[in-house]
Parts: sequence; structure tokens; C-alpha cells
Amino acid sequence: MIDLKELILSKDNLYPLLRKLRKEARLIAPVKNEHGDTLFRPVGDIDTTDIDLENQPQESLKPFFLPQQETLTGYTINKGEYSFSPPPPAKNTIFFGVRSCDLTALLYMDLIFSKPFKDATYFDRRNHSLIITLGCNQPFANCFCEATGSGPYLEYGYGLQFIDIGDRYYVSAGRGKGADLLNKWSYFFREVEEEDQNRRYQLFLEARGQFTRNIQVPHACRKLQQEPVAEAIWEKLSSRCYDCGGCAYVCPTCTCFSVDDKPQDNNSGIRVRSWDACTSSGFTRMTGGHNPVDRTRHALKRRFLHKLKHDFASHGKASCTGCGRCIDICFGGVDITTFIELFTQQEKP
Amino acid sequence: MNKNFIPAQAIIREIIRENEQIATFRLELTNKRLPFTFLPGQFLMLSVPHCGEAAISISSSPDRLPLVDLSIRRAGELTTAIHGMKKGDQVGIRGPFGKAFPIEDFANRDLLFVAGGIGLAPLKSVIDHCLFQSGLEEDAVQSITLLYGSRTPSDIAFKQAIESWQKQGVDCRLTVDEKDSTWNGHVGLVTELLTDVTITGNTKALVCGPPIMIRFVIASLADLGCGDESIFTTLERHMKCGMGICGHCHLDGRLICLDGPVFNVSQLKKLDVMEFAR
Repeated sequence: MIDLKELILSKDNLYPLLRKLRKEARLIAPVKNEHGDTLFRPVGDIDTTDIDLENQPQESLKPFFLPQQETLTGYTINKGEYSFSPPPPAKNTIFFGVRSCDLTALLYMDLIFSKPFKDATYFDRRNHSLIITLGCNQPFANCFCEATGSGPYLEYGYGLQFIDIGDRYYVSAGRGKGADLLNKWSYFFREVEEEDQNRRYQLFLEARGQFTRNIQVPHACRKLQQEPVAEAIWEKLSSRCYDCGGCAYVCPTCTCFSVDDKPQDNNSGIRVRSWDACTSSGFTRMTGGHNPVDRTRHALKRRFLHKLKHDFASHGKASCTGCGRCIDICFGGVDITTFIELFTQQEKP
Repeated sequence: MNKNFIPAQAIIREIIRENEQIATFRLELTNKRLPFTFLPGQFLMLSVPHCGEAAISISSSPDRLPLVDLSIRRAGELTTAIHGMKKGDQVGIRGPFGKAFPIEDFANRDLLFVAGGIGLAPLKSVIDHCLFQSGLEEDAVQSITLLYGSRTPSDIAFKQAIESWQKQGVDCRLTVDEKDSTWNGHVGLVTELLTDVTITGNTKALVCGPPIMIRFVIASLADLGCGDESIFTTLERHMKCGMGICGHCHLDGRLICLDGPVFNVSQLKKLDVMEFAR
């Protein structure tokens, strides 16, 4: 069998290919709804669904791997016996049109959910998924993935990576399922020619040149290893944090959660995992009301230090992917870029 | 045991009432073929019907397996619910989780335990284990001293254990914050008992109790010449998974559930932690 690592797909063949894929698995893609919002949704009839590859999806892939609420286990209490049942198995799913930042976030989640114990529920979904990314030729208004090393194109991690090079896509396969898929549907594709490669490279350079925001992420990360953040910065940011949790909910790498029992009747119930965030006031509060974190001064400290200081120290990379979603959502204007700007300008104490 | 979100069933074999607020629940796994072992200092995630889970230190020694004790103070919804349960009832457990006390370094040492209230629970596991070991092996611990503070005489927990330790040669010194007519022992903070204790280069100190107590005991121990690497404590934080994923116990780049709950002072000094205010 020939090595089908990189191929060209004519745009005319995109929908026929997606139609085939949809028969194999649940297909999720960015879909523009009747309100004009672009969200990752299951694709039903491809011809009547508005698959939107022009706009940034408003949410990341996070909800599909760590749903806002999910049942981890059901429990019953029957004649004194307290027993637990496993959650339903995951469905085979193909994600199409995923941006580089959001796949990078998923690779980070893989790390979090496997150290040192594998989260079975998460990995069941992950192992039943194939991710097809779409490289960005044009950053969106708030994007800064170039500064976080998570775009605009990717080098690994994807099942397939699509790059729009005009009337066709330049398609690269990752290991495993992506390459299998290209082999299986090879008749939709043609070989890569030199002109395709040149075009791709040229678009990559252009994309990198189009970032309007200069956010010094690596500099901030290195500086955080060296010197503390001035208390005044925390106080300034925390004074405009309204505890809404919005930044953490839209963030593709904020994966903190809570687990609670929801009784269904006297003898049974479900154990539910739901999103939680260190920016919420109850996050660290213990039984009896004691809270080791002073929230009025340090509401945002954990969030920013986790992403930029601690994750940089342990993984060599910040766990911010530069997707820019937290910028839009914060009406207090205290998103991660504000912090980076304030801190990088901080003079050495 | 499977370290995931599905708990194993355990049956309450015995309930020992320690005081008004604290009881020890002696558990046994219903599936006896499940491999289960732990080390002193580790904790379990305990499930109580309709109440979810809470992280609870194991208070018995691994030498008592297959029985495992959880000493629980009635404080919130889950702990109140288990206090309402009876012998024969079932709970769920996951674990064990967390780093244990470095018991392998305790051979031939003088061990000093300083505890306040329910804080004796995780230390009890170590004391019981050391006493069990000293009955069997040559290189057991040199001596064991316990300083234990309670609010009032009626708040003194683990009386049964303390009596048994005294019989086995443990130097147990108790203090209360407020005395009553029944009490003719020491009155005052547990730190005051430290002044009568000899600390040498051979001493290892294990401290557990309310954060403020931990802070002052650590400071006093340092003044008495106890090295940072010879003082251990165990931290309590809100936890939801026990496996390093949920994020609740994240502290300065560390996760209490994985990197702790047991830390020595040298490790604590690197963290922004209230138990060790710099």
C-alpha cells in the first residue's frame, strides 16, 4: 500500500467525503444555527446543514470530551446494598473543522486526564474519536495562537489536518485512524504536486504575518519562573472579577470539575461530574466554611499562575492556546492577555 | 482497587464512638478478592448514599487489613449522614490516594507526634503501625511520644487507642484548652507541651491538626532545633477526585491529592500555604 501521508482534496469532493464519513460515525462540525451562532453540532443532512468553516466556533471541543454535566456512575441502594453502575460507552465520532488551538487544548487534556491515573470516561470518548482540523489562514480578532505555539497550522496530534489552499485542501494525515481514513477513501484525493506545497507554505507565512495582537506569552512564562507577581496586579484584576466563571467555561484547557450526587428517588441516584472553576468562590471552601484562598485579593491568581507558571514549569509550555475566547466573554476586562500585559511590564521588585 | 470513579462497596463492621462529634467507622470491602492495601498517611474517597464523596484519612494501621478505619468528625452533610448509619450498612470507597508518611525512614528514630482534635486520625495509623512493627522487628522505632490537644476534656477522642498506647510504652501527654471539674491534667495549647520534650537529631516530628495549630507547632519545633526535613504534616483540602484531575486541591503547582497530603516542612516552604506562613 502506498504511503498516503499527504494528499489533495478538491473542494468539490468535500461534501461527498463528509457524506461517507457521516455513515461511519457521528459527525460533528461547526454549524451556523438560525441565530447566526457557530457551534460544534452533530451534522444530520449535509445538504441542509450550514457547515461554517469561515468563523471561529464559539465553543471549543471541551464539552464533547468533558461535558458541562455528565453521569460518572449511577447508584442504587437495594435492601442495604449500595452499588454502582458504569456509565454508557462512548460513540464513534468524527470531528471536522476543528481549529489548531482547540486540538492543542485536547492534547493538553489528554495529559491532565492521564496523570497518573487514566480517567476512563474521558479516554473512552477520546479513543472513539477522530479529529480533522482546519488550519487557520486568517487569525480571528482575538487570536494569539502564534504566541502560545498552538497554531496557525499544526505539526502533530490530528487525525487529519486540512489546509485551505484555494479551490482545494492540502490534507495531512496523522498516525493511525487518520491515515486509515485516507487509505479507505483514497479515490476522493489526488497526489500532492509541487505547486500545492508552495501554495501551502506561502499561505502559512501569510497567516503568521497577520496576527494583530502581540501577546508575550513565552516571555511572561519565563518571567513568572523568576519573579513574583506584584500584589497590586492581583488586587487590580480581582477587583474586576465578578465570579461568573465565564473565562473558565469557554476556556478549552480549563478542565476543573466538581462531582455531586443527585438522588433520583429514595433508592437510587446518579453521580454527576460538572464544570467547576477556581474563579468560583466555593471552589476551595471546605466543610465548615474554612477557605484557604483569600478571594478578594486573589480571585484570579490560581487561574493565571496555573496556566502560565506551573504548567510551563511542568510541561515546558503554557496551557493557554491563544484561542482568545476569554477576551470576548469577560465584561470586567480581566482576561489572560490583560494579566500578561500587566506582568510583562512589571518592573523587577 | 480500580482507581477510577466507580467506588467499591464496603460494609461498616463496627462503630467506635470517640467523642460527641467523632466516630471511627471500621470498614471491610464486600468483595474480598479486590486487591486493597495502603500506607499510613494515605486517604480514601468515601461515598455515602445520596451525599457524594469526601476525602477521609485512614486512621488504622495497614496491619489491621482487611479492616480499615475512617475516623470522622460530624461537620457537613456527608459526615452527618454517616454518623446516622449503623453496623452492617454499606458505604463506597475509592483509593487509597496520596503520598504516605515516609515510615521506611522511621526505624530507630524517636518519633514525636503532635496532634489537635481529629488531626490525630492520620497519625494514629502511623503510631499503630510502628507499634505493630516493634513487636516484630529489631529495627523498630526507638521511642514514641504523643502530644495531644483537645478543646475540653469531653472532646478528647481516641481514648481507647491512647490507653492501649500507654500500656505499650508510648509517652502520651494530653492538654485541653478549657478544663472542667474532671480534669487535673495540663491546660493550655499543645505548643506548651513541647517545652518539656527533648528533641535531638534523631527526632522525627509528625504534626496534624487545625492549620493555625500546625503553623505554631512547626515554628516551635524549628526553634527547638528540629530540621525542616524532619517535620512532617498532612494537609486537608477540598477534593473531588483524589486522582489529580479535578483541580480543587491545586496549590502552587502541586496537587495535594498526588504530591501530598503528607509534606515535610522543607517542601511546605516552597508552597504558598497557610499552614506554613513565611
